[in-house]
Amino acid sequence: MAFAPEAKGKAIILVVDRDSHIRELESHFLDQAGYSVGFAEDGDGALQQAHKILPDIIITEILVPALDGLMLCRRLKSDPRTRDIAVVVFSILSAAGRAREAGADAFLLKPLAEHALIDTVRQLLEARGARNRRAQHVA
Amino acid sequence: MLLEAALAVTRLSTGSRELDEILEGGIPENSINIIMGAPGSGKTTLAEEFIFCNATDELRPVLYLTTLSEPLDKVIRYLQEFQFFDAAKMGTKVRYEAFGSVLAANGIGALFPKLKDTIKTLSPKIIVIDSFKAIHDLARSPQEMRLMLHEVAGLLAAYNTTVLLVGEYRHEDIATYPEFAVADGIIELARNSLGTRDERYLRVFKLRGSSYRQGFHAFDITERGLQVYPRLVSPAQAGSYKRSEDRVPSGVPGLDAMLDGGFCTGSATLLAGPTGSGKTTMAIQFILEGLRLGEPCLLVNFQENPTQLAYQLNQIAGTLNGDGRRRLELQYYSAVELSIDRIVVNIFQTLRRNGIRRVVIDALGDLATAASDPTRMHGYLYALVQHFAVLGVSSMLTLETDPPVMASDETQGRLSHMTDNIVFLELWMRDRIVGRTLRIAKARSIAHDLQRREMKIGDRGLRIVKARK
Repeated sequence: MAFAPEAKGKAIILVVDRDSHIRELESHFLDQAGYSVGFAEDGDGALQQAHKILPDIIITEILVPALDGLMLCRRLKSDPRTRDIAVVVFSILSAAGRAREAGADAFLLKPLAEHALIDTVRQLLEARGARNRRAQHVA
Repeated sequence: MLLEAALAVTRLSTGSRELDEILEGGIPENSINIIMGAPGSGKTTLAEEFIFCNATDELRPVLYLTTLSEPLDKVIRYLQEFQFFDAAKMGTKVRYEAFGSVLAANGIGALFPKLKDTIKTLSPKIIVIDSFKAIHDLARSPQEMRLMLHEVAGLLAAYNTTVLLVGEYRHEDIATYPEFAVADGIIELARNSLGTRDERYLRVFKLRGSSYRQGFHAFDITERGLQVYPRLVSPAQAGSYKRSEDRVPSGVPGLDAMLDGGFCTGSATLLAGPTGSGKTTMAIQFILEGLRLGEPCLLVNFQENPTQLAYQLNQIAGTLNGDGRRRLELQYYSAVELSIDRIVVNIFQTLRRNGIRRVVIDALGDLATAASDPTRMHGYLYALVQHFAVLGVSSMLTLETDPPVMASDETQGRLSHMTDNIVFLELWMRDRIVGRTLRIAKARSIAHDLQRREMKIGDRGLRIVKARK
């Protein structure tokens, strides 16, 4: 899915979920919080989009077709071009440990609780901002 | 790293501590639940008590959608009669909305966008749809209903909200209506007529991912909401508790010698005999002995009210002093008016609350009158006696054997298994002279006297005349 032109300047978040209700609700709450949101329905599509648009955060379910969410996370974290993308595993499976092993930056258990989701996104963006500032300072 | 997340199921209180106990803590959060029952069975009261108990956050309010059963004004008018109602929450933490006319005008397809819009704009913590069953009547086909439900269930499962679908469902609906397949929890409320009184029961049919207390639980609807009496079940540690070797004096002169020192602490004694044989007198002596030793005691009676009972006690004891009166709890129940569930639960609660050490239930026949079926009676008695044993409470249960109120062989047999001791009080007549005897038929773990012994009743109660040396 292409991001709207007004996305410029906003943090970009890619939501990967096979459930249309989840995609729609996540999109709604993230959009309301001021983020630009794109979707993928499977892991392969998410990986392609990640390379193309380099989102700030990817929020993925583990149980997605083609390439599961944990494998997607490993691929992203092992590629220098995408390893700085923060990954939130947001799943119906209680798999915080497996998410950590896969290199995820955060784990959230379904169902969708918008306050927890937005808080997590904000914290990850703040951490990312701080890292970037440090990198610029060193350079 | 923000990786801490636990699967632990959090619960929402129903507003009734006892119902929470049945549900092992309350209704699991983020679940879809059906509250089913005939009109007037208490479904709406349960749903309303639940929402007012949990409506604590204006940013996450509760939405109560009415459909096509009761008009909204009527629902709210009666709601205000309950103590749990809080006017300050109305319109802020609790939002009522009539949705019936929208459904009637636009069909059942209007529900899905309504719920989606509600989630996006209101972030509801709880959604109640009352009546969900009524929506079936607007569906043009079962397929339409099933498709709508598929969408609605998917949406509700995706979001962090707890749902109650309230409806006048019948048992046969469980197998045919698709909402029962998607429901995580099902609670049924029922009302049965029993003689001159109505008995209300609830039971949990299903509670996904959680254990719950099975069976029928009695309840009343009061101004406080649902007053639930969880079915008494045997204590979990019944098989492993340590039995006391201590003895409990009976209070009957001569009887302790027949019992090698008295009844065992925590044992249950069945005291059986015909009218006039001295059962109540002996039971009172058992209680008075406990009071004399400083033990809190409970005397449950179904025929004489507390004033009459206190008179009888004073007759045998002389005037009870202040300490004795304070330690004694007298409970009188009309077995005709009350169900066995309420009586047994009250007894059990008193036991725990007051640290009772001795209990008399006078008489089991009256308790049987309060039971809608003998199986229920035996189940309750068994559980109660087990609780007595685990708590170390010594009990005496009287049973009238003439006329044989519960005198089927099967019933007597089951009672004898249930109790540790059985004492028969008998009347005999010879040459127009009537006498009383006592016989210990069973005394578990006691080297007891098997002889039939003569006894007398005097001012101070019963005494064994020819006691063993």
